[in-house]
Amino acid sequence: MNKKRFNGYLTAGLLITGILVLLTVIGAFYTPYDPTAMSGAAKFQGPSFAHFFGTDNFGRDIFSRVLKGTGTTLTIALATVAIGAVVGTAVGAVTGYFGGAVDEVLMRLNDALTAFPSILLALLVISLVGPGNKYNVVLALGIVFIPSFARVTRMSFASLRDTNYILGARLMGAKSGRILLVHMLPNTMRVVLPAITIGFNNAVLAEASMSFLGIGVTPPDASLGYMLSEAQGMFTSAPWYALFTGLMIALLVFGVGLIGEGLQQLEREVA
Amino acid sequence: MLEIRDLHVKFHNREREAVSGVSLTIGDGEIVGLVGESGSGKTVTAMSIAGLLPRKQCTLSGEILLDGQDLLHAERAVLRSLLGKRIGVVFQEPMSAMDPLMRVGEQVGEVLRIHTALGREERKARVLEALQDVELPDPAAVYEKYPHELSGGMLQRAMIAAAMVIHPSLLLLDEPTTALDVTIQAQILDLLKKLNAEYGISMMFISHNLNVVRKLCSRVAVMQRGELVETGTTDDVFFHPQHPYTRHLIEAIPTRGRRKETA
Amino acid sequence: MKYAAKRIFTLLLTMIIVSFLTFAAFELVSGDPAQTMLGTQATPERLALLREELGLNRPFFARYSSWLAGFFSGDLGVSYNYRQPVWSLIAPKLEITLCMCFVSFLLITVISIPLGIYSARWTSGPINAVRTAFNQLCMAVPPFFTGILVSWGFGILLRMFTPGDFPGLHEQFGASLKYLFFAAICLSIPRIAMTVRMMRSTVIGEMNKAYVRTAISRGNDRRGVLMTHVLKNSLVAAVTFLGQTMAEIVGGSIVVEQVFGIPGLGRMLVASIANRDYPVVQTIVVILAFWVVLTGTIADLLNQSIDPRLRLGGHA
Repeated sequence: MNKKRFNGYLTAGLLITGILVLLTVIGAFYTPYDPTAMSGAAKFQGPSFAHFFGTDNFGRDIFSRVLKGTGTTLTIALATVAIGAVVGTAVGAVTGYFGGAVDEVLMRLNDALTAFPSILLALLVISLVGPGNKYNVVLALGIVFIPSFARVTRMSFASLRDTNYILGARLMGAKSGRILLVHMLPNTMRVVLPAITIGFNNAVLAEASMSFLGIGVTPPDASLGYMLSEAQGMFTSAPWYALFTGLMIALLVFGVGLIGEGLQQLEREVA
Repeated sequence: MLEIRDLHVKFHNREREAVSGVSLTIGDGEIVGLVGESGSGKTVTAMSIAGLLPRKQCTLSGEILLDGQDLLHAERAVLRSLLGKRIGVVFQEPMSAMDPLMRVGEQVGEVLRIHTALGREERKARVLEALQDVELPDPAAVYEKYPHELSGGMLQRAMIAAAMVIHPSLLLLDEPTTALDVTIQAQILDLLKKLNAEYGISMMFISHNLNVVRKLCSRVAVMQRGELVETGTTDDVFFHPQHPYTRHLIEAIPTRGRRKETA
Repeated sequence: MKYAAKRIFTLLLTMIIVSFLTFAAFELVSGDPAQTMLGTQATPERLALLREELGLNRPFFARYSSWLAGFFSGDLGVSYNYRQPVWSLIAPKLEITLCMCFVSFLLITVISIPLGIYSARWTSGPINAVRTAFNQLCMAVPPFFTGILVSWGFGILLRMFTPGDFPGLHEQFGASLKYLFFAAICLSIPRIAMTVRMMRSTVIGEMNKAYVRTAISRGNDRRGVLMTHVLKNSLVAAVTFLGQTMAEIVGGSIVVEQVFGIPGLGRMLVASIANRDYPVVQTIVVILAFWVVLTGTIADLLNQSIDPRLRLGGHA
């Protein structure tokens, strides 16, 4: 008998991500200090009980800033993945199920698009809609992520379409809409879920990169990426600013990445 | 030549033994058939002889003697020197059993490369000979081809050539004709008969198809759920089956309207 | 050969489509270039004169085709910001970015392939768990973060290079290369992790295939199986992935250039986007698109020579 092995990845991933999300949610309502409050007296302090992560060159509490920044990053990443997943799944479902010439053309387009690094595509969209606005960032990234979700669901739907299970449903007279939603979608969730974790991580990194470059989210909506670009300048005098900000990004992506690994392991055990 | 004594094979993740106390001998130049349904343990038995079972996932006990040398408890290096050289294996699905990116000729000559010190040209000559032995038309062309360029029947002949080219003492064939068309099946069987007569090579032929076994083998062993339930000459087993399972198998053979020949 | 021709044709076709879409998109967005260049104080006469000069009064397709032709003649318009021909502005930066990308690619290939093959040994157990976790960690740490750390650690602390002070590529090639090397390391780390993972799962997948059993039955030892059979069969997936890697690296280089103060293509792109310097952005986009399509095509052609089943448009 196969023993169900302890899924360390999933547990660790959920734990890490859970803690971070919890902290961030709390941070949305309460932070030890106002993230933008400057204080000449408190400049360049190292980590302490008063300031967990220390202060920066303006005397701002880094811990509060990081909490707020993570919140922004999380929101944008989630919104991005939501757009990509919902629209992508819809497109993939329809083209995968109905097939035909439209499917062929879209597949080619998809192949061409996914060959490009997502940050380049995002930059392209941003350059067309105008940088600086956080909504534009979400839009740009969301659009960029649609093709990869579309491809994943399309493959799943296309392969499910010809199974006996679905053919049986059609023979019994079920209409296409019902088949797509009730029968095929739940099966596709199994492939979409790992794609969501990967997409989330890519979104976090892409948004952070763009904000770091100054064409993503800009103040007053501070995101971790922007904060890191600030932090680079004062690294010699206040290294903890960069350290904790960067670590936060890494930890978030690491946690979600472990969840993804855990999901993969689940798949292996079920198979 | 080959003697299996009380072989037991148990996989760690299964309840019952895959092979329970199987004892079998194969004499020089004999063709012995091993029949049974899926799951009867016939493939596992053959893989035990060849040492191809994953050691970490199962436990083996008993003895397998090749001309007196115990294969089961031999060092891996010793086993490796025998595998390919004295024991050849032909698998069921020729298309997937071959490396898709290596030319057929090179693959057929692989055992020579591993076990002999022959140079490239010599190996090629032997391979061409072997390809001719297995009745492949235009061996020189086949030599240069890739596996996907040949048909199933031709590939299986090439696989047999690959095993035979070094003239091993024993050939293990695991359902070699199952994946082929019926007409090709008959040709392969004739080929094996010819090779056996010409080179005196012993063969263990595994199949779930009794008709096929009947045509080729001089002795037959019947397995059911890991146990050997009957052995004997082909005629004996087919005309005078002792064990109810054997009778059951024989009765299941489709006939063309003729009266079934049972005792 | 037929397949190669087909692939190259696809490449050209894609480039035409991409360049067309890019040109059209920026047409829509950019407004009146003459206005942008001369500013709001310009008189209508000066505007009209400039428009005539820049050929802005010609129909769309005429402008598109002369722009496209510019890629071969070197005339790609003039930057709004720098008042310089786009190509002379971009060319030196392109050189630098390409250099860094090649260094990065080399690093990735040399490190990941052997590591990936080696780590295929463990499919379970504590070693595998540690490897998996470490792999995820490497993918999680963003290049701009490691960039800051490396820049400070090796640059300021250990004085191995001077961050922010990039020696010119033509002036001091050796020193430049060393500078780019540190940047390339940061750029490569996540990609190395991904490539190791890809290589490992490919090799594991191949080891489970039927032909491996055949190879063992002929007396090959583990090393023999790997070297003689599995490696070549794993190559196709690796080549495809490395082709994609080459494209991804260019994307990542944008950020790394910012961290290390490298005057490359990426920095130019970002600045031009911020400044709405459309001629520059347009050109860089097409160059990058070409790069992506080119790497993909080269990977495909390489694979065709490795796996005979892929020739003539067949499938493996």
